[in-house]
Amino acid sequence: MKLTNGSTTESLATINPAIIESDNDTDKGCFDEIYLEKKQQIEACLSEENVDIDKLREFAISPGGFVTDDLRQRAWPKMVGIDVENIPPKPDEAVLHGHRDYNQVVLDVNRSLKRFPPGMDDNIRLGLQDQLVDLIMRVLVRHDELHYYQGYHDICVTFLLVVGEDVAFALVDKLSMNHLRDFMDANMDRTKHILNYMYPLISRVNPKLTDFLERSEVGTIFSLSWLITWYGHVLPHLRDIVRCYDFFIACHPLMPIYLAAAIVLYREKEILENECDMCILHGLLSKIPDDLPYEQLIVRAGQLYKKFSPDEVAHDAILNFKKSQQLAKARIQNRQKYLKPVKKKRWFPLLYQDGSNIYLKITFWTLTAVISATVIAYLKPSDWDMNIAGWWT
Amino acid sequence: MTTEQKTEVRKPEKEFESSVTVLEKQTQRRIFKIIVIGDSNVGKTCLTYRFCCGKFPDKTEATIGVDFREKMVEVDSENLKLQLWDTAGQERFRKSMVQHYYRNVHAVVFVFDVTKMSSFENMPGWIEECDRHNLNKEIPRIFVGNKCDMTDKIAVNTNLAQKFADSHNMPLFETSAKDDEKANHVDAIFMTLAHKLKNSKPMMPLHLSQYGTGYQNNDIVNINDSPERRGLRRATQDADGNKDGNCAC
Repeated sequence: MKLTNGSTTESLATINPAIIESDNDTDKGCFDEIYLEKKQQIEACLSEENVDIDKLREFAISPGGFVTDDLRQRAWPKMVGIDVENIPPKPDEAVLHGHRDYNQVVLDVNRSLKRFPPGMDDNIRLGLQDQLVDLIMRVLVRHDELHYYQGYHDICVTFLLVVGEDVAFALVDKLSMNHLRDFMDANMDRTKHILNYMYPLISRVNPKLTDFLERSEVGTIFSLSWLITWYGHVLPHLRDIVRCYDFFIACHPLMPIYLAAAIVLYREKEILENECDMCILHGLLSKIPDDLPYEQLIVRAGQLYKKFSPDEVAHDAILNFKKSQQLAKARIQNRQKYLKPVKKKRWFPLLYQDGSNIYLKITFWTLTAVISATVIAYLKPSDWDMNIAGWWT
Repeated sequence: MTTEQKTEVRKPEKEFESSVTVLEKQTQRRIFKIIVIGDSNVGKTCLTYRFCCGKFPDKTEATIGVDFREKMVEVDSENLKLQLWDTAGQERFRKSMVQHYYRNVHAVVFVFDVTKMSSFENMPGWIEECDRHNLNKEIPRIFVGNKCDMTDKIAVNTNLAQKFADSHNMPLFETSAKDDEKANHVDAIFMTLAHKLKNSKPMMPLHLSQYGTGYQNNDIVNINDSPERRGLRRATQDADGNKDGNCAC
């Protein structure tokens, strides 16, 4: 999908306002007005020689986050602690393309059209998609221990759209070794374990809802894409996604799962109105409604975090993990019990004269006949006696 | 958000619900769970979307984890609900996440991309995995080669695919989720499965099984029968008699 295109990191800054306008042109004016004062405060904070990171973190968490993408471009690098003046240069194309995950990355980026603002010029979009591949590969080639997963591209595209390729690379590079590290193991065991935090959190607030969800056996996979894409894959508007990113960058790496719990709790009524059935609930929960009150949910997630720290929930999460393992083990044992007779059955058809597996049957019966004849001939009592007698006497 | 808004949001689901919650209907409705698996980018999402939503999705995306779609179909005047579980193709997902969804499935759809040899060559791995997870080896499996509209890029020839399908006792279908002319064909593939499932053992709680219609034990193993008895022709005749087999490619 390589396509030469003039759009560079610099030119991105000029497309950015367009991105925002097309995303929320009607809300923008009023949105900016509400947070006018906050914008000025952030501006002032960022202009200081030694930026107060704790203050920035407060801005990131409190309503509106960093408000605009211009401020995000300046605030995110500070929060993550990267030096935008010293970003490692891009390695050769051959290095990027030679990585084990390159083909998968290209496949996923090619299919990421939804993540670009509607109405964006095709050439600009194709240029950005090329940059997206490069940005992902740049991180992966630097850290052999990191493994690409489908959904990582959803995180990277968000950073690319807001800060441009080079800074996005530096941000994602750092985050991949911290907040996103657990998702990037060779397998998804640790990702699965993080999902196990959701039910203990929900049950502390609403045991009835937990009981309902557990009975339905809906599991936690409906929230997998929320977690590993930081909601980039599921929220329809870029403005909401970047708002969540402000929050997640400023918080503990487990915060996305606290937000997941807040969303499920918020939808309690809707959930309980449905049948207690895995498919129905998976269908309902995996689709996040367009108009969730994100600011309210972010506050809720923050409250949950303060009230039930990861350390406190960890114990229950491990219990849940063990429970699910035991269940899986029991299921495998059940399955094996069931499979045994099926295995035995594989030999029975050889006894039937039904025209199937004809060559196998011919071989089987011929061998049986030959072996039987040999054995009978060899063990013929008279010969046997004689031989034995002859030998010994 | 106001309560009014909330009700508005839920309206479509409620409409959908109202068709589902009529108890009388529910007792007669059988639900079949079908899992769709195969390599990344072979078109699993597009196939299920084409069948359930009647069109090719405008913007496709990588599936993360498992997506779920469903469709009501009528087979021999019985309403069946087909639940399609569309899975992520990347290996790391299938190893740790997808296994949860093999539980209690009634049918498996293996998908490969006819323009990509590796997606065909990886099939034994998918089949082996399926064997490991499936409760019952007798459950219907079908083998679908997607993207056959890209005639100039075909990499897996039909004979090869057919041989593989035969060796695993599966019917082979070659189709295209993208090609509008083959929309009926995609439907027919799933309808074949629906027929197979309808005639198989009742997939309901025991007390409801008495409602099951025309349970014929023989039909369960039909899928393992001679190749002539399988495949699209039979399906299209059964599913919608007015369609002939000309959409096979």
